[in-house]
Amino acid sequence: MRPQLENVLREVEKAIVGKRDVIEKILTALLAEGHILLDDVPGVGKTTLAVALSRAVGLAFQRVQFTPDVLPSDLVGFSMYDKASSEFVYRPGALNAANLVLGDEINRASSKTQSALLEAMEERQVTVDGKSYPLKSPFLVIATENSVGTAGTQHLPYAQMDRFLVRLSLGYPDYEAQMAMLRDRQAINPLENVSCVMSAEELLSLQREARAVTVKDAILDYITRLTMASRAHEAVEVGISPRGALFIDRMAKARAFLENRDYVTGGDVQAVFRDVCAHRVLLKESAREYTVDQVLDELLKKVENPDRRGFLAGLKK
Amino acid sequence: MRKRWFAYAVWLLLAACLYFFENNTGTRVILACALLFPLIPPLRGALFGADVPPEGKAPEPQTVRVFVCREADEPGDVRAYRPGDPIRRIHWKLSAKKDELLIRETAAETETVQAEQFGASSADELKNRSRKRLLRALICAFLLCAALLALIPEANHGAQALFNRLFAASESVNAYVYDRFPVPEEQPVFLAAVLLTAALLALVLTAFLLKRRAAALCLAAAFALLQAYFGLSFPAWINIPLYGCLALAALKRPLGRGPLIGFCAAALSVALLTALLCPGVDAATEAASEAVRDRLSRIAQQITGSVSEAPEGETETRHIHTRSLEAGDNEAATDGEFRLVTVEEEQISQPYWINYLKIALLLLLSAALVILPFAPFVLLNARKKKAQEIRKAFASENVNEAVCAIFRQVIAWLSETGFGADNRLYREWADTLLGGMPEGYAERFSRCAEDYEEAAYSSHALAEEKRRLAMDLLKETETALWKAAGRKQRLRLKYWMCLYE
Repeated sequence: MRPQLENVLREVEKAIVGKRDVIEKILTALLAEGHILLDDVPGVGKTTLAVALSRAVGLAFQRVQFTPDVLPSDLVGFSMYDKASSEFVYRPGALNAANLVLGDEINRASSKTQSALLEAMEERQVTVDGKSYPLKSPFLVIATENSVGTAGTQHLPYAQMDRFLVRLSLGYPDYEAQMAMLRDRQAINPLENVSCVMSAEELLSLQREARAVTVKDAILDYITRLTMASRAHEAVEVGISPRGALFIDRMAKARAFLENRDYVTGGDVQAVFRDVCAHRVLLKESAREYTVDQVLDELLKKVENPDRRGFLAGLKK
Repeated sequence: MRKRWFAYAVWLLLAACLYFFENNTGTRVILACALLFPLIPPLRGALFGADVPPEGKAPEPQTVRVFVCREADEPGDVRAYRPGDPIRRIHWKLSAKKDELLIRETAAETETVQAEQFGASSADELKNRSRKRLLRALICAFLLCAALLALIPEANHGAQALFNRLFAASESVNAYVYDRFPVPEEQPVFLAAVLLTAALLALVLTAFLLKRRAAALCLAAAFALLQAYFGLSFPAWINIPLYGCLALAALKRPLGRGPLIGFCAAALSVALLTALLCPGVDAATEAASEAVRDRLSRIAQQITGSVSEAPEGETETRHIHTRSLEAGDNEAATDGEFRLVTVEEEQISQPYWINYLKIALLLLLSAALVILPFAPFVLLNARKKKAQEIRKAFASENVNEAVCAIFRQVIAWLSETGFGADNRLYREWADTLLGGMPEGYAERFSRCAEDYEEAAYSSHALAEEKRRLAMDLLKETETALWKAAGRKQRLRLKYWMCLYE
């Protein structure tokens, strides 16, 4: 792992104890320039994580707590009539000035607000009154969703879920982590300890490097076969989209880069596959005996990995 | 139940009537049977079914009472309430309409349906038991019949006479003289035949009931021996079902569909092949042959002139032939016809296409004989060449290619000796390698797996050092696995997989 990334990891770990794997995944998503959907119960540190990350990387942080009456103009800004100059002036919204946006409980927002956010995520620009304003770069959205207490919420439609690079969940800390957390927070707020160890420009250059990681055809073939198999699976209604395949590729590249390699292996694809694809697969109504995770595991087990495929191709030749 | 008793009574009556009208052996037997049958428990069970309580631990069938209620709209289905009627039977709807309490008729409109519910296994068991009971009853019946008949002197003598006849028939075929039974020739054979048939059936059924393979096999062997002893065998339509039945009894389990179909297919193909290669005497062919013989004789008569009888045998034919040669040009046409005829005669015993079939088979066989001995060598050689090509890649100038090839060879070794972990990434194979391989092998393997990944999936060239490392791993793998392999495994590895040199 690059020293800068190592530092970031260490800083974030100060605030979130014992969740190294999730932080690594979030860093990977950050390198892959993708947005993250955190799906978890309240109080496990989703917000803390986002804040710590923004502090460690030196990103401009904005937090939006979504409720049904948050309007699109709150996010993307609005034009206001200025009496003095007698013309409309653009008032920027929450997204304009931010590198890292934490959208808390995105499923509580009205659907028009959700779609405004999603446009910004996809295009990395906002459009108000026919004028487009580019957002800051890098731009990353971490949206959270509570899986409990969903009454009166707008669950994200499948099409919008597809825009998030990964869906992660933090999960409860184990005994050691819980004890350490309680001990640490007796006197101070650990978030204050998190210091900035990387600049946004550095992050941009790292992202560029991650994009330059080699992916051989054997790996692309593996990704393609995985996605095709997911579409053909008996229990699956909607399989992995072409965008999903692209995201697997990007995420695998970022992971290889995080592990200090300049080439993607089958292991990278397997490691990111579940996180990238879990929210892209819809099961059939009739397939009650399956869960999405089971289907994905089965795909990983069944589809020939590139190592084996190369070996078998050598045998056939 | 009642019906069965009625039938039995009718049977008894008929037997009695027969006996009084004509007092002979047959009617006596019938009457005796009619009288004795209900006395034997298994027979009674077979005749009167449920009358006899099932012996032993027969499971008491669970009965479920189902009340089927019809729509009680008709006025006949209800009656006025009487004190003591159960409240449940009150027809509330009608009662409300008529403003008096009405009761549903119980006996007339409520049917009690007894549904017996069994589990699948107990139903099977029950079926099995009832079948056994029936078999036992039948055996008893046949044995009783045989015993009764044996007591009657007419039947006894008839049987002996039958045997005498059998001896006579056998003597006419075989050169062996049997001792005859001292009975006159003219004996009524009907009773004796019934006796023998009954005894035979009892035997066969016993074999079925016992279902001991030995019993059925012994019986089959006994039949075969008897047939051989008398030198007379039953016609095929008796023998085939008889032995077939015995074979069925000899089977431990009823025959499945798969083996049955296979057996039928095999039998059919054998029959087909026999019919193809040895078509036997065909009526059409025979007629044609007859016609040719006629023509031949006519020609012979033409040639010989005065000779009236048809020429038969070789000498005569030759004679005709020489005569025709001597006769000169004017008889050349006849001679030609004669040759034609002889050729035709040779072929006529079989359809002509059989010969082509035989030739084709022969060609196929000879080709197979020529090719087959060399096939293994050709195959092994091809494999060896492939293996050598793979080995050539080990020394390739491109280190990446070389490392890939070497590592794949290691994988081939491991897969062939059962250490493989199929569809898992190579770096994860180390877990399965921990047992049975030398100390530290797993770590070296995972390090090499990483090198392999780099060689296969990266775009930059590897250091020469990695080739040496991979080669070391391959050598270590080879020696370890070769040492552990058995003799059969070694042959396979060396000649079939061409892994070892």
